[in-house]
Order: sequence, then structure tokens, then C-alpha cells
Amino acid sequence: MNDHMILRVVGKFLIPYIMLFALYVQFHGDFGPGGGFQAGVIFASAFVIHTLLFGVRATQKIAPEWILRIVASGGVLLYAGVGVASLLLGANYLDYNVLGAYPVAGQHLGIILVEFGVGLTVTAVIMLMFFAFAARGEPEGDAS
Amino acid sequence: MLMHLPVLVVLAPLLAAPIVALMRGATWPWLLSTLVSWFALLCAVLLLIQVQAEGVIIYTMGGWEAPWGIEYRIDFANALLLVLITGLASVVMPYARLSVEQEVGAERSPMFYAALLLLSLGLCGMTATGDAFNVFVFLEISSLATYTLIAMGRDRRALTASFSYLVMGTIGGTFYLIGIGLLYVMTGTLNMADLAERLPAISDSSTVRTGFAFIVTGICLKLALFPLHLWLPNAYTYSPSAVTALLGATATKVAVYILIRFVFTIFGPEYSFGAEPLAEVLIPLAVIGLLSASTVSIGQPNIKRMLAYSSVAQIGYIVLGIAMGTAMGLTAALLHVFNHGLMKGALFMTLGAVMYRMGGTNLSDMQGLAKTMPLTFWAFVIGGLSLIGVPLTVGFVSKWHLILAAIELGWWPVVIVILAGSMLAVVYVGRVVEAGFFGEARDPTRREAPASLLIPVWILIFANIYFGIDTRLTVDIAEAAAAQLMAGGVVR
Amino acid sequence: MTANTALILTLLTPLLGAVLIGLTGRWPNLRETITMVTALSLFALVIRVLIGLNAGEDIGVELFEVMSGVGIAFNTEPLSILFAMIASGLWVVTSVYAFGYMRGTNEINQTRFYVCFALALFGAMGVAFSANLLTLFIFYEVLTISTYPLVTHKGDAKAKAGGRTYLGILMTTSIVFLLPAIIWVYAVAGTLDFVPGGILEGNLAAGSATILLLLFLFGVAKAAVMPVHKWLPAAMVAPTPVSALLHAVAVVKAGVFTLTKVVIYIFGTDYLASVPYESIAVYMAGFTVIAASCIALRQTNIKRLLAYSTIGQLSYIVMATMALAPFSEIGAAIHIAAHAFGKITLFFTAGAIYVASKKTEVTQLNGIGWRMPYTMAAFAIGALSMIGVPPTAGFVSKWFIIAGAFQLDNYFVLVVLILSTALNAAYFLPIIFNAFFKPEDVKLKDHGEAPPSMVIALCVTASLTLLFFFFNGPVLDLETQLVGGMP
Repeated sequence: MNDHMILRVVGKFLIPYIMLFALYVQFHGDFGPGGGFQAGVIFASAFVIHTLLFGVRATQKIAPEWILRIVASGGVLLYAGVGVASLLLGANYLDYNVLGAYPVAGQHLGIILVEFGVGLTVTAVIMLMFFAFAARGEPEGDAS
Repeated sequence: MLMHLPVLVVLAPLLAAPIVALMRGATWPWLLSTLVSWFALLCAVLLLIQVQAEGVIIYTMGGWEAPWGIEYRIDFANALLLVLITGLASVVMPYARLSVEQEVGAERSPMFYAALLLLSLGLCGMTATGDAFNVFVFLEISSLATYTLIAMGRDRRALTASFSYLVMGTIGGTFYLIGIGLLYVMTGTLNMADLAERLPAISDSSTVRTGFAFIVTGICLKLALFPLHLWLPNAYTYSPSAVTALLGATATKVAVYILIRFVFTIFGPEYSFGAEPLAEVLIPLAVIGLLSASTVSIGQPNIKRMLAYSSVAQIGYIVLGIAMGTAMGLTAALLHVFNHGLMKGALFMTLGAVMYRMGGTNLSDMQGLAKTMPLTFWAFVIGGLSLIGVPLTVGFVSKWHLILAAIELGWWPVVIVILAGSMLAVVYVGRVVEAGFFGEARDPTRREAPASLLIPVWILIFANIYFGIDTRLTVDIAEAAAAQLMAGGVVR
Repeated sequence: MTANTALILTLLTPLLGAVLIGLTGRWPNLRETITMVTALSLFALVIRVLIGLNAGEDIGVELFEVMSGVGIAFNTEPLSILFAMIASGLWVVTSVYAFGYMRGTNEINQTRFYVCFALALFGAMGVAFSANLLTLFIFYEVLTISTYPLVTHKGDAKAKAGGRTYLGILMTTSIVFLLPAIIWVYAVAGTLDFVPGGILEGNLAAGSATILLLLFLFGVAKAAVMPVHKWLPAAMVAPTPVSALLHAVAVVKAGVFTLTKVVIYIFGTDYLASVPYESIAVYMAGFTVIAASCIALRQTNIKRLLAYSTIGQLSYIVMATMALAPFSEIGAAIHIAAHAFGKITLFFTAGAIYVASKKTEVTQLNGIGWRMPYTMAAFAIGALSMIGVPPTAGFVSKWFIIAGAFQLDNYFVLVVLILSTALNAAYFLPIIFNAFFKPEDVKLKDHGEAPPSMVIALCVTASLTLLFFFFNGPVLDLETQLVGGMP
């Protein structure tokens, strides 16, 4: 998309805002529509736009596959780990009540953490899937 | 820690899988997976002991009481099944090291082991949970892991096999989901115990009847009841040997458990067999599946495929036991769930050893095996005898109970069908035994399979024989489970 | 040692022997010695159990429960001790014979042979001493499986085909007829124990009992009642020691033993007499006797001829058992012994002839009596025992069976016996005549008698056949206990 100057400039401008919006959706999931799944997709879409504009190679330099894998696994581990923390604190698995000074705080913290884990994993997985398909049949050099 | 056992069985593989996925090479993933599987087995065994002491164990996730929260509910039936799944995983994991190295390759091994862990945790989760939707979640986890695992087989047909299983499995899962949805509409709850309490009042509604039909159909696809079994032969044949061993022994059995749970606990035997024509539908299908699958397996040149069809036939036996609707029939079905897992696990692992050394599992690869790979071959012979139902093996114990249950009901034609199935088993096992004893080996240089493949095989073979002689454990648990299930409803 | 210990040891000894034989395969003489020692110890142990039984000792061992109410258990009574004595005693003799035969023909895989032999005796002992139908069924199958490698020993296409028929018929009948019969008994009686007087009285509808009887009759294919008899001629591809001990003694006797046990201890003779159409069993057995004798008339292969003769003789036992007369029950039990002695002698001679002269057909036997006098003399004795001529063992058992026929005015049995005696004479006597009184016209190789160990063995069994005629008192006393004293 070398010829499309307008798209590139506008895209570069928008991408950070998309990411910001994704973070907003992520952390306000308990107050309004949102949460990890939606936020993860939105965040990944920022990278998809980048790919469409600048090519798979360029995007993969920013977000190489090995980082994505770590993030994907990390998200799952974060979620499961919150549950383990509950276990270690003496309650049932994924009982958020014990995570804070008083139950509501604990629930707040627990939900945020697990949703964040979900968000991480969804982002990484969507990007991995996208790259898996986008990189097929890719000639040497950028996709134009 | 002991009170958290129900969740630990699922949690341990869950924590290990992402870590394994990040590792490199083949050894570390394998090591971690094996240790985790053994830990899960330990938890499952302790859980079984706890259930024997207390009857039913309830674990609420996140501290939220049912029916608002998700609970894990362990009674005799699923405790037995958990031991089976984790036990088989514990035996297949050590076995997998060499077999997977050869069939999947070191590069894809981390993914492979991660998927294997996800499979076993999915199956365990399906078994342990007391929430109908949670079943679906774990069903999808295990199914997706399965599709991945099958596709990693060496043969190119593994990809098509995996894809066709994906399509059919998703249909099955979706039917199940639709059924759950319909029940939710009518009762407002997804908790199994709660459903059991609320359903009798509304059981005439056509929504509930439709829900029942969708659920049963979806599950029967997953458990490969004729004619919904079409995905099974290819899936088993082309996947890596370790995968077939684990799948063949556990995946369909968990689906059987879910069927039993819905038919007996949630809907109750009076509704399932009285208001719904469940027996009338299941029995003919089971009988046809039994006979046709056994017959087809006789002509198969690929022994793995032969055993896959044999598995479809054995599922027919189990479904017959369920369809009888009596405590004896249910005992026989649960017994055969456990025993068949032992048999098929051992047999498929034996074939994996043959694949490792001979590069294939056709009848031509089995020629003269008695001389070139005696330990492997004799394991196959004993497993085969168990499949036929020769006394002193677990197969005999299951057959005995099944026939006894049929005689108790006076269903003589069913007795004849069961015996006909055994006869066909003699023929298809006999082919391989004859080839092994009398055939000419293509490559007579004696190369027995390595110990790390043989030891797990023989552990399962000894289990076959041990549980065929000392049947107290399995029979007592199966009978206790059947009693709990026949009582219907739930104990709080 | 106590009788119970001896009883357990009768099972462990052949098993242990099999393991040791397997381990010493590389030293043939040591291996043969172990076989002999095992066989002799087994016989001694069985004698100890016999002494215990006669002294009225309480003999019974329960191992463990397999299903609820039925487990693996052993005990002994007159019939079982008779079978055990014959099987173990004749194993000693057959081992001597086998050494000569296997070395004389330079057979392959001798270690596997002796191991499977020992395992087959393990199965036979288990069948003999079983205290309930489940234990019997388990060891019945052990017997089938352990004899399969023996039948297919030669490994060629004929052996493979014979093995297929053998295993096919035995496994099919045991799974399709015998197993459901056993489970049916368990379902109606709640137990599978062998109890004098039977366990089915009052538990079973009359018509069902007939079907149950037929299931047993055809399920126990080792008794070779037609039409499930084909496995016996098919098994003749085995080396002759196998045919001699197993298919003249152990395996076939396990079959008729099982049927007799079922008649006396599961059904009970009184109950069975009240079952409608029970005489179908008598007719089928009688038909088998006549048909087998007619087929034997047309056989030229010695071993096949003997196989069909065996089928006929086994059905004597079945017929006598099913006739339900006290004398015929005794006759059936005694014929287990009498036939064993006679038939094993005949098979021994067939093998001796083969080893010495490579001949396998009766048409080749003209004049062979002068080259192999001991062998053919033994053959003559065995043949006379089959026909039932004094002073051979066969006469004693025939006497009792005929007496039983008269006891119940069973003219069918009488006619069958007379007719079959004539038929037996018709196919055995010409062989003896030709052997001694016709000049030799077929010579495959120059030869004398068979190797000494074989000749010794067949002389021993021939003598037993004769001695049984004179010294059958103890056996008679033992077996009359079956029917509660001489009627």
C-alpha cells in the first residue's frame, strides 16, 4: 500500500487510539459492555491494520511470533494463577473473595486480573491466527 | 489440599499446558507432561478413596454455591472414570516419548504435549463437573485438542481425518449446546442437580422433549454410536499412535458417562425410558453397530483400522447395557467402560510399538511378529484374548455381567448378539494371531521394541489380567455407581 | 502334607514345571529330566489327594471371589480324582514316549512343545479339581489355548488349517453355548457350585431345562458329540504324543468329565430324569457312536481312524451318562479310565510305526507285525479293548453300560452298543490280521522296532489295559460312590 499515502498517515494516527480504546474496554468490563474477549480482539485489530498497511514482515518485526506465544501462554497462566492464589489463600479455586481486604475488593481485583489474562491470550491468539493465514503464499518482500 | 482434589485433577494439566507450549525440544515438554499426568492420577485415586468414604463430593468453584455457581460433583461413576482417564494418560505419557519423537518430530513436540495435556484436562473436566454448560466448555477444549492431535499424524490423510472429525464433532457439540439451551429456557438453570429437581414438573413440554433429543443425539455422535461413528475409523487410524491409545481408551467413554449422567441423573430413568423411546432407539442401533462394525473389522488390512471398528462395536455393548435401564445393565456398562479402556489402551499402544519398529500397522507388518518382536506380540495376544472375553481377563468380567443383565431381563436375542460379537472378535483377533505365529517376517533381524514402549504396554496388560481376576474393586465401584444412578435425582 | 496342600500343589507343579522347562530349553537332557520330575511329582501329589479322599479328609480350597457368590475354588470327589489320576499318571508314560518320539523325528521347537504340554496338564488338573462351573470354565479355556500351539506345532499350512478348525470349533462352542449355559445356571440358581444332587431342582422351568442340557451338550465340544466333533480329526496334524495324551486322554476326557459333572452335580440325576426330552441327549450320543464308527471304517490314515474311534468311544461315555441308570453312570466313569488306557496304547503304536517306518496308512501295514512285534501286539490289545473283548479294560466298562441299559430297559443303548461293537471289530480286526498274516508289500525303509523309550511306553500302557481287567476293584469302589453304593 505504498501508494496510499492517505491511508498510511491516517492509519498510523489511528492505531494508538485503537489500542487505547481496547484498554478502555478491557478495564471497564465490570461497569459496562466490555471485558477481555472484546478488548483482545480490538487490540489485535490494531495490528491487523498495521499489517494491511505495512505488510506482514513489518508487523512481525514489532510483534514477533515468539513474543506472541509467550503472551498467549502468559494470559492463560495469569487466569489460572489467580485461581491458584485463591487456593493458596485458603479458599476454593477462583474464589476472589480472599484476594482483597474485604470480599468486594477481592472480587474487583480478581475479575480485573482474570479478564486481563483473557485479553492477553485473545490478542495473541488472534494475531497468531492472522499471521498464520496472512503469511501463506507470501512472496519475498511486502504484500502490496 | 485434600479438599481441593476435584479441581487439582483439572488444574495441574491446565497450568502445565501453557508452559509446555513455550518449551523447546522434545524432552522437557515430555518430562513435565509425564510428571503432571502422574500427579493428576494421584489426585484421582485419592478422590476415589474419598468418594468411597463420603459418597458424593461437592466442590464449588469460586465459592459460589450452586445453582448460581459452577460446582464439581464427584460420585462413584465419575470417580471411576477420572481414575481411568488419568491412569491411561499416566501410562501413555511415558510411552509417548519415543513414539512421538518418531511420528511427530521434535519440532512440533511442545505443541503436541500441550495439546495432549489439554485433551486430558478437557476429558477430566467433562467428567468432574456438575454443570451442564461446563460440560460443553470442556467438551470443546478436549475436541479442539483432539483435532490438533489427530492432524499431527504422519500420514497425509491425517489432515482430512481431522477435518472431518472437526465438522462432525462440532455438529455433535452444537446439538448438545442447543439441547442445553432448550433446557435452560424451560428451567432457568444449568446446574445438573438443579435440572434434575426442576425437570419432572415440566417433563411433558415439547421443548424439554426436543432438548432431550438434541442432547442425546449430540452425545451419541461423540460416543460414536452407529450410524454416527463415521468419523472414528479415520481419526483413530491416522493419528499418532500415542494419541490413538489415549483417545481410543477415553474419549468415547467420557461421552458415555455424559449420556449416563443425562439419562439417569438429570432426566431420570422413568422419564428417559418411559416417556421417551430411548431404549427403542438405542438398542437397534447398538446391535447393528456391534454386528456390522465387528464384521467390517474382519476384512481390514490395517490393524489400527480394524481395532477402530472394534471400538465402535464395543461401544455398542456399552450402549446396550445402558439401554437395559436396570442396575445390572448399568453396572455392566460402567464395568465395560473401564475394562475396555484398559484393553484398547494396551492394544493401541502395542500397535504403536509395531509402528515404531516396522513403520506401519498393516497385516503384512504383523507377519512373523511372534519371532521378531515376541514381547510386543504376546501383549497383543493377551489384549486380543481380553477383547474376545476369555476368562481371567477383564473382557470376560464385562461380558459376564452384560450377559447376566440380559438374562435377568429375559432378552435372549440380545444374549445371542453379544455372543455373536465375541465370535466375530475371535475371527478378527485370530487373523492377527495367526499372521504373527505363522507368517514370514519381512525383516527377520530380531528387533524388539524399546523398553520405554514396552513397559507401559505391559503395565496395562497386567492390569487387564489383574482386574480380570480380582474384580472386587471394579465391580464394587461399578455396582455402587449404578445404585447411585438408578436412585435418580441427586443427593445433596 | 495335608490333602489341601497337595491339592494346591497339583496345580502349581505343572505351572512351575512349565516355567522351568522354558528356562532350560538349551540343555535338552536337563529339560527332559525336569519334565519327568514334574510328571512324577504331580502323580505323587494326586495319589496323596486320593488317599485323603478315601480317608474322608475334608478337602476344599477357596481361592478368591471373582463375581459375587462365585469364585475360584477347588475340591475333589470320586470322578475328579479318577480323571486327575489318569491324566497325571499317563503324563509320566507319555513323557517317556515323547522323548523318544521328538528325538526320533528330530522335531523343531521341542522346548515350546514341553512347555505347552505342562500348561495343558495344568489346565487338566484345574478342570479335574474345580469346585464350581466358573473354575471349570476357566481351566477348560486354559486347556484349549495351551493345546493350540501343540496342534499347530509343525507350523506348515496343514498344521495352520488344522489349528484353525481346532480353535474355531472349541472357542465358538465354548463362548456361544457353554458360557451362556453357565451364566444361565448362575442366574437361576445363584451359585455355580458342584453339589451332589444338583442345584437346579426347582429353579428352572421344565422346557428351559431341556434347552440348557442341549447347550451344555454342544457347548462342551471336547466331548465330541456330533456335529461339534470336527476339531478332533483336525487335531491329528499334531505330533503323536499330543494326540496320545491330549486327544485320547486329557482334552477329550476333560470334555466327558465336564458333561458327567454337570449331569451329576449341577442337574442331579433325579432332576434330570424329570426333564422332558432328556433322552434327546442319549439319541444324539448314540447317533454319534454309530456314525463315527461308520466313518472310521472308511479311513485309511491311522490317526484319523483312531480319531473317529475316539469320537465313538467318547459318545459311549456321554450316552451312558445321559442314560441316567446307576450302572451306566458307573460304566461311564470306568470307561474314562478304560478308554484312556486302550486309546493311548493305540496312538503310541501309531506314532511308533511312523517313527520306525514312516508309514501312516493302514493299507501299508501288511506284515509289519513281524518287524515290530511288541508294537503290533500292543496295538492288538488296544484294539481288543476298543471292541470290548475280555481280558481287556474295555470289557469291564461295556459290561456296566450294558447292565445300566438293562436296568432301565433302554433298548436303544443296547442296540447301539451291539452294533458299534460289530463295527469296531470290522475296522480293527482286519488291521491286526493283515499285520501278522499278510506278507509285507509296502516298504518305505528298512526298519525294526521303534526307539526303546517308545516301546517301553506302549508296553506299559498295554499292560495297564490288561491289568485293569483284573485289578479294577479299587476303581470300582471309588466310582460306585458316585451313585451312592452299588445298586
